[in-house]
Amino acid sequence: MMSDDSEKPVADPKPDTKSSPPPKPDTKSSPPPKPDTKSSPPPKPASKKPEEKPIELPAFEKGISDKLVEKFGDKVEVGFVKKDRVRINISKENIHKVAEFVRDALNYDHVESVTGVDFPTDKEIEVVYHVGSYTDSSLARQILVLATRAPREENPIPGQDSTRLPSIRDVFYSAEFGEREVFEMLGVYFEGHPDNRRLLLPEDWADLPPLRKDFAIKGR
Amino acid sequence: MSVIAPKFKLSEFVKSLLDNIFWVLLLMTIVGIPAVQIALFYIEMPVIHGELLTPFLALTWLADPTRLLPVIHALMATDFFRIAAFPGFGFAALLAAGTIFIERKMLAKLQLRVGPFYCGKIEGILQLMGDGLKLISKEIIIPAKADKPLFWAAPVLFVGAAAAFVALIPVAPGWVVADVDMGLLAVFAVIGFFPIITILSAWSANSKFPFIGGIRALFQMVSFEIPLILSLLGVVIVTGTLNLSEISASQSFFPWIVFLPVGAIVFFITMLAELERIPFDLPEAESEIVAGWLTEFSGMMYGLVQLGTYLKLYAFAALFVVLFLGGWNGPMVVPPFPEELLVGVEMGPVKVGPFPGLPLFDQAMLNGTFWFVIKTVGVIFFILLPRGVFPRIRIDMLLSLGWTKLIGLAFVNIFIALGLLYAGVLGPGGLQ
Amino acid sequence: MTAELPPGLALQKADERIMTLNVGPQHPGSGHMRIVVQIDGDYIVACDPDPGYVHRGEEKMAEYRNYITNIPHLERPVIHDSCNILYPYVLGAEEILGIEVPERAKYVRVIASELNRCIYTMYWLAIYGIFLGHSTMFMWPAGDRELLIDLMEKMTGARVTHAHFVPGGVRNDLPPNFEDTCLRQVNYFERRIKEYAAVFYDNPVLISRTRGTGVLSRQDAIRLGTTGSVLRASGIDYDLRVKEPYDVYDELDVHTNVMKEGDSYARSRVPWLDMMESCNIIRQALQKIPKSGSVRTKLKPNPKTKGPATVYKRVESGRGSLGCYIVSDGKPEPYRVKMSVGSFRNLIALPYLLKGEKLGNMPSVYWSLNYWPVEADR
Repeated sequence: MMSDDSEKPVADPKPDTKSSPPPKPDTKSSPPPKPDTKSSPPPKPASKKPEEKPIELPAFEKGISDKLVEKFGDKVEVGFVKKDRVRINISKENIHKVAEFVRDALNYDHVESVTGVDFPTDKEIEVVYHVGSYTDSSLARQILVLATRAPREENPIPGQDSTRLPSIRDVFYSAEFGEREVFEMLGVYFEGHPDNRRLLLPEDWADLPPLRKDFAIKGR
Repeated sequence: MSVIAPKFKLSEFVKSLLDNIFWVLLLMTIVGIPAVQIALFYIEMPVIHGELLTPFLALTWLADPTRLLPVIHALMATDFFRIAAFPGFGFAALLAAGTIFIERKMLAKLQLRVGPFYCGKIEGILQLMGDGLKLISKEIIIPAKADKPLFWAAPVLFVGAAAAFVALIPVAPGWVVADVDMGLLAVFAVIGFFPIITILSAWSANSKFPFIGGIRALFQMVSFEIPLILSLLGVVIVTGTLNLSEISASQSFFPWIVFLPVGAIVFFITMLAELERIPFDLPEAESEIVAGWLTEFSGMMYGLVQLGTYLKLYAFAALFVVLFLGGWNGPMVVPPFPEELLVGVEMGPVKVGPFPGLPLFDQAMLNGTFWFVIKTVGVIFFILLPRGVFPRIRIDMLLSLGWTKLIGLAFVNIFIALGLLYAGVLGPGGLQ
Repeated sequence: MTAELPPGLALQKADERIMTLNVGPQHPGSGHMRIVVQIDGDYIVACDPDPGYVHRGEEKMAEYRNYITNIPHLERPVIHDSCNILYPYVLGAEEILGIEVPERAKYVRVIASELNRCIYTMYWLAIYGIFLGHSTMFMWPAGDRELLIDLMEKMTGARVTHAHFVPGGVRNDLPPNFEDTCLRQVNYFERRIKEYAAVFYDNPVLISRTRGTGVLSRQDAIRLGTTGSVLRASGIDYDLRVKEPYDVYDELDVHTNVMKEGDSYARSRVPWLDMMESCNIIRQALQKIPKSGSVRTKLKPNPKTKGPATVYKRVESGRGSLGCYIVSDGKPEPYRVKMSVGSFRNLIALPYLLKGEKLGNMPSVYWSLNYWPVEADR
């Protein structure tokens, strides 16, 4: 599944109908997360679950976060567990492994949106993946939010500074255009993404990445 | 002082009018009348009241307008009139203009809208003239890297080829610009020019979309010319002639579509493709290749191509009528001319007429033209109709249609014709 | 910035056989975007969509205005579907501001959003018709769309840019006698779009042209993360109105139209079937709507948020799932608004589908993706 088309982006835009196994077309063969998650909510003391009482947490969503915590332990941090939404904060080293686990074991199969959020005070840029599932009907209304953070530089040189993240495009193909957009809008370079090019901005754009907070709109 | 024209003065307006009248009169006297006089020396003048009308007497029409009739009659006998006005260019252009108007209104009715509406007060009848004026007044832009002589020549060549096609069509008995024995072969030769002109203009524009459009047009026209020619061979076999007038005359009892419906259908479909009408308008497919080979034409160059297209449309419809629908043949509907018109009428002391030169057209010609126009308009209607009904097809579907299905059907048609001939249904001893 | 800019459009090495064609951004068959295609004869060997021609920075603008004043400009990306594109933002803003919505307002929202879906789909269908060279199919939907636009004008006061949904409900109550007019118009509209089958959907030329072209298999539809009618045409039963009902969709009977083929024809047919389903939903909503009551929880012009929060809400728009991710830091303005739009998500399928297709299929495959360039650019 590691991208076989990393150097020829346009030449091969439909890379792997045959060559690579796509994320899980069928629901039957995959390990169902449902039965054991239903039973597990009451125990599970570990992991940091900030300011939420365990009783109020929706059981099914809690099961998802528990499975992740069980697998990765300290490497993941559960941001929140709400109805239909689970947020996991991950460091940039582990995002790829977590994404693979989410795809293979938890049955999520596509990225709905890739969002970059600039936090100048933290000197970090957050990249948020909203992951959903078409194949697993029990996950149809669920959105798993994977959030990771990249260091931020005051004078960005998009593509050449330390603002880098590993790409999960080889895990979730659907993240391709979203990551390209984050790259041009916030200057986060995705390592392993075969096609880090401009998408929406003009080709001669030479200003700051526009969605950073220090890019100010005139007159505001 | 009016707001619209603040410097308007009635006296100056009247003065400008008088000036114009003065100059027109002056130029007419010193240039126009001598020119007419000189031209009249080269026209065969008629005999009126036993007296040869000389050019010196020609201007007596000012006193007696009926004396003009023989001159008009003589003019109508010239080749120039045939080429420029009646069976040739003028007639075809008039029908083409009517076609465009009908197309717009019909399509609009089909699509639940009104179409041209305001220009000319009555149902937008002057819209076409307005469009023509707009095209004439527009700037002509030539691409910087175009091959300019060829690019300029292409629209003119296109109209020229279309007009040559029109010249071969017999409209009424004896009324055809070029009555050649090899008429149908000449038609094939003229049709063969269109792909060349198209590819030349597409190549000379030096632009990608015209190039693709030109290549498509070439493919389309070449692949449809073969079924076109084959489908007409049936008619040639049963009539034994290539002369279009004779083919037309041979259908006085029944049109050939009765015996050769397969050929008629094949010819109609290939006609749509040759004309680039809507199911086959790939060379101009706008959502794929902007306007195809017309993309770089602007102003009157585009107007000329459009004129050529509609002349071609008329010519193909007319060819269909001549070959399959019986041409000018039809029941006599034009009433005979009243006796008084031909021998004159006595009104008490005064005898009016007979006017030499009347009637301008004979009865058979008027009747032939009437039926010809009716049939041609009908065919044109059916050519226009698919535009509102069908989407565009794809080039591979088009080519496979042309090379496999239509050619096969055309051969079926030839066998039908041969069978009819050898079975004795047609030909000597048969129905005809 | 340094001289080392990221590369522009990555094109294939120039070959004598291969011609690079810039389709757009000003081209009758591209909409407001550029598609760089490389063709070998009549076959497309590579395709690179280049959106961004009408990028307006809606997300950046949203960071400077408060939750109420964001509404009129956030609907601009799809003015034909302005209710649906505002819907997730309004739902998210309601959660961040902590407002309840009256029951009647929820029904009004459903009616407005379904009407807007039909208006958008008609516009889309009109352009699909002209992309295939079918001029009647351009004029008919463009004309019949006026019916619903008049209805929306009665309801909201504006023909296309309604700005009707606000946090806390809708801006205005329904006008008197709206229910009767709406029912009559919708019934007529449904009868009318059923006639399209004869001239368009059952047309043999159309079927032979679009059947089997641009086939997106079920597996690839999932892998590429497509959404909306593209997904449903590939045989996946996924409609957020059923799967994650928002507002009062769980009280209505919504049927999902699914087709198995995944080709251009199926992708063009599903939105048409969806329009009839919308008519059904509108009729149900008109029956169940509370006859009276408030339609709006009043807010201050500059409302206070409950505190820092992140919200991700999504609805089913005319072009598929439409998500809105709002990050709030407690200030009256949102910290970050991200619209995850269906067009942008479907665009990824374009290079995939066009490769190996004929050039003549480009407009039909491209437009069957239910793509709206302005929405994708935001």
